[in-house]
Amino acid sequence: MNAPHDPAMLDDVAVYALGSLPASDAERVRAHLATCAVCRAELHALQPAVTSLAASAEQSPGALLKARVMRTVRADAQAHAVPAKKQPSVWPAYFVAAACFAIALISTLVNLSLVGQLRQAQTKVAQIDSNSSGLARSLAQERATLADIMDDKAQRFPVSGGEVIRVHDKLYITLHDVPAPPRGKVYQAWTLAKGAKLMSPSLTFVPDRHGVAVISLPVDARQTAAVAVSVEPDGGSKQPTSTPTFVVSIG
Amino acid sequence: MNQDAELLMARVRSRDADAFEALYDEYHRLVYGVALRMLGDASAAEDITQAVFLKVWSAPDLFRGGNFGAWIVRVARNRSLDTLRSRASHQELELPESLPEADAMEDEAFARLDGERVREALGRLPAEQRQPIELGFFGGITHEEIARRTGIPLGTIKTRIRTGLRKLRTSLDGVVTA
Repeated sequence: MNAPHDPAMLDDVAVYALGSLPASDAERVRAHLATCAVCRAELHALQPAVTSLAASAEQSPGALLKARVMRTVRADAQAHAVPAKKQPSVWPAYFVAAACFAIALISTLVNLSLVGQLRQAQTKVAQIDSNSSGLARSLAQERATLADIMDDKAQRFPVSGGEVIRVHDKLYITLHDVPAPPRGKVYQAWTLAKGAKLMSPSLTFVPDRHGVAVISLPVDARQTAAVAVSVEPDGGSKQPTSTPTFVVSIG
Repeated sequence: MNQDAELLMARVRSRDADAFEALYDEYHRLVYGVALRMLGDASAAEDITQAVFLKVWSAPDLFRGGNFGAWIVRVARNRSLDTLRSRASHQELELPESLPEADAMEDEAFARLDGERVREALGRLPAEQRQPIELGFFGGITHEEIARRTGIPLGTIKTRIRTGLRKLRTSLDGVVTA
């Protein structure tokens, strides 16, 4: 049922394809398209050009958007996960034999399971034992550190946010008011051996949430002339890359 | 790419989150780009992108075949139009209708487009044709509003839109012809 083609409608068809006609005009064009093959062909010719416009606008959103979307989708997928289908039941003639077999099988499985559980329990006990030993070592170490830094004979060197403490051959940095380092950065200690011209890299650390850090430096305090701390990239540096937060001479 | 999308959508219908993620990776830039261009607001564009893709996940049967990219662009544009409609500054304006549905052949043509080629083709159009086309598609306004804003007679705007679209189609020929 083709109506006579009206060339004046072609421009309206183009605006309709672009999605830029108001509702009342769009209705009129739709009615015309239903009866005019020429205008339908024009619409079909122009539509790919219209949809192609979207490709010219491609942009990347923030990376967190995908995480938000996928968290919702994966949670929903998990909530609607279909459990595995049950196997069809066995014909009754074989029921008793099957039941006996099942009982034997279950007994075996139970035994295997008990053996497995026993081994798991043994592994857990060994782990707990190992953890306890580690914890005891760590506590002993902390007690020794505490005793050192409280020692009356300790030499204390005030630095920004705390002090460097020398006790016999031990060397500690104790900080109590240090801001968290910037993202991707850590604090790094540096030591200068007596007679040396360059600082040597030492431990990296970050303060706890209260701004406290206690670091035991792995050097002989008697052979050390100075201690410094600077902010470095995560993982530490071989040479300081920023102005030290403090440098203190202890020699 | 389109065949892949159809297969992925079949898996999405059976709640396959990995298939959904593959679709997201392929098409999220298109959806976000259209929404951002129309709304001019990154946060609102992200909301639209999230809503569009979660709709794909929760109601995959809304996609009834054809080219997935062309379909999701229509969904993104229509959603963005809804947001424009809800904004106070647009309440006094008559907003355009949604994009008309395309048939599978036109959709298929869309599958071979890439952004760079379209930007080049658009750039070759005279500004007097490119401007009303972009305003119409991304601006979410009617041709009457375009005429009012530009001070150009309505009939001229319509003719420029048609001429520009035909040129764009010709520029993209070989890409957009099946």
